[in-house]
Amino acid sequence: MAIQLLNGVVYGGLLYLLAVGLVLIFGLREVVNFAHGALFMLGSYIGYTLAASGQWWLGLLVSVVVMAAVGCILDVLVFRSLRKHDHIVTVLITFGLLLILETVVTVTWGKAYLSYPVPRLLAGTIEIAGSPFPIYRLFIIAVSLMVAIGLAAWLRFTRMGLYVRAASTNAHVTSIQGIDVDRLSLIVVGLGTALAGLSGVVAGPLLTLSPTMGNYILIDSFIVVVIGGLGSFGGAFIAALLIGQIHNLGAIYLPWAATMLPFMLMIGILIWRPTGFAGSRT
Amino acid sequence: MPRTAWIVGVAALALALGVATPWLVASKLTLSLTTQAIFDALLATSVGFLILQNGRVSFGQAAFFGLGGYAFGVLVARQAMAPELAFVLALALPTLVAFLLGIVFARITGVAHAMLTLAVGQAFYEIAFRWRELAKGDDGMSFDLPQRIFGFASNSLQNPAVMVVISWSILVLSLAGLALFANSRMGQIAAAVRDNEERARFIGHDTTIPPAIVYAISAFLAAIAGLLQATYNGYIAPQMFHWSLSGSALIMAVVGGAQFIIGPAFGAVCFFFLKDFAGRFAEYWPAIVGSVLVAVTLLMPQGIVGLASRAWTRQRSRS
Repeated sequence: MAIQLLNGVVYGGLLYLLAVGLVLIFGLREVVNFAHGALFMLGSYIGYTLAASGQWWLGLLVSVVVMAAVGCILDVLVFRSLRKHDHIVTVLITFGLLLILETVVTVTWGKAYLSYPVPRLLAGTIEIAGSPFPIYRLFIIAVSLMVAIGLAAWLRFTRMGLYVRAASTNAHVTSIQGIDVDRLSLIVVGLGTALAGLSGVVAGPLLTLSPTMGNYILIDSFIVVVIGGLGSFGGAFIAALLIGQIHNLGAIYLPWAATMLPFMLMIGILIWRPTGFAGSRT
Repeated sequence: MPRTAWIVGVAALALALGVATPWLVASKLTLSLTTQAIFDALLATSVGFLILQNGRVSFGQAAFFGLGGYAFGVLVARQAMAPELAFVLALALPTLVAFLLGIVFARITGVAHAMLTLAVGQAFYEIAFRWRELAKGDDGMSFDLPQRIFGFASNSLQNPAVMVVISWSILVLSLAGLALFANSRMGQIAAAVRDNEERARFIGHDTTIPPAIVYAISAFLAAIAGLLQATYNGYIAPQMFHWSLSGSALIMAVVGGAQFIIGPAFGAVCFFFLKDFAGRFAEYWPAIVGSVLVAVTLLMPQGIVGLASRAWTRQRSRS
């Protein structure tokens, strides 16, 4: 049972890394990023290229840096010009980006399923509550916890974090008070995309790589963001852990309904509170 | 009412043209492609109608498309009932499901609605994918049509020269029906709710049922498309529910022009033949679609039909 709960935390951690990026981008740019799963997938492939030659850690670093750059480019070229548009327009445009990214990856790396091994340093298992548990999975939990703590501290205790929180609440008023929201957004979108790259590489050894690998986890992260409340960092954290548990325990105890449970939870919560459980009542 | 007369007149002309197609076009391949394009046009029309009348973007319209196809395919393959009854059920079930969902979704708009429909659509996909006893799960299932449906030899339903006329007529009648609905009292109320729900409620209209009826109508169209495709191919597969199908129907609707009733159908036909034409670039196809979508959304938010309509008005005001 302890092992199963831990497995749920592993998936929840990965979901959190993606969902928090969605929340950051939505908060600053009001863009619902349908391309986020494809960015996760791209990050995973970049990591694969280096991991295939035994440079897993270098792959992690390169993927995060490249994805941060991709995020900055996206922000300048696409998201910035979407400011004045309706949310639905941003949905359609990022959906277009998703198709473009999938094609780029298909043409570059091919359609075949790829996989890469766990880095040697983190191979092996450790005994927890009498059962073996892969060290690599503990590493994923540690990474997502570190990101969660780091991000919370950054948002809570630094001046820039204060600006980010202010701009997420009302970008217009924040810019009137003399803060360069465009520059702030550049950093924040870069950060959100870098986190997608990070989770892509970290999840790489657990998944098989394919150009559509981002779709499934994107839908789960949308569920996390929606039930957590659009734009809520704390909500995303709790919802990610919740969906992680439901995903894993459901697969064990209710296999016939497992894939339905997150959807049902989402529908139930939205009917109860259309803004999600940590969202503001507007 | 002159507007109604216009709609009826144009529809009659379009019907006559459709009936003449098999005599005008000899190539079986062209007929078959046209038939497929019309199925796409019906699905895109159903997505576009939801945007036009309810102001809601759906990423899960394939749920009703798949439900229509599956209900028919499964019932016929098991010989659970008379095929005519299966036909009716395959249309009634998705419509009813959509009506109930429409009532539940009444308070949910914008991005949350897009995500919710995506989730509901994927839930159906997961069921079809995993439930092997239903229709062989992931593999999909072919089935034989019964000898006769509604007194006609059923193999004619798999003949493109026949199916092209049937599906074209259905498309034309649907578009005319939607145009009449948009002008009807119920359509006007739904549009009022779309523009300002609070105001519509304030002046005494019910704001739940009219949008739910729009939902049901749009699902009915999607179900027709799914039913026709399942009948024509004699095959159902979980891909009929997949969100990429909902997504491409949405793209066709937006590129064609979702502010117009015929816009989505026009977009679907354009896309279908562009795709066929660009066959040798098949590998790059999604990127081409994606780029077109980005360009159209940013540069001409009203779509191709919107652009044409503006050019036409300008031309007329000049002369």
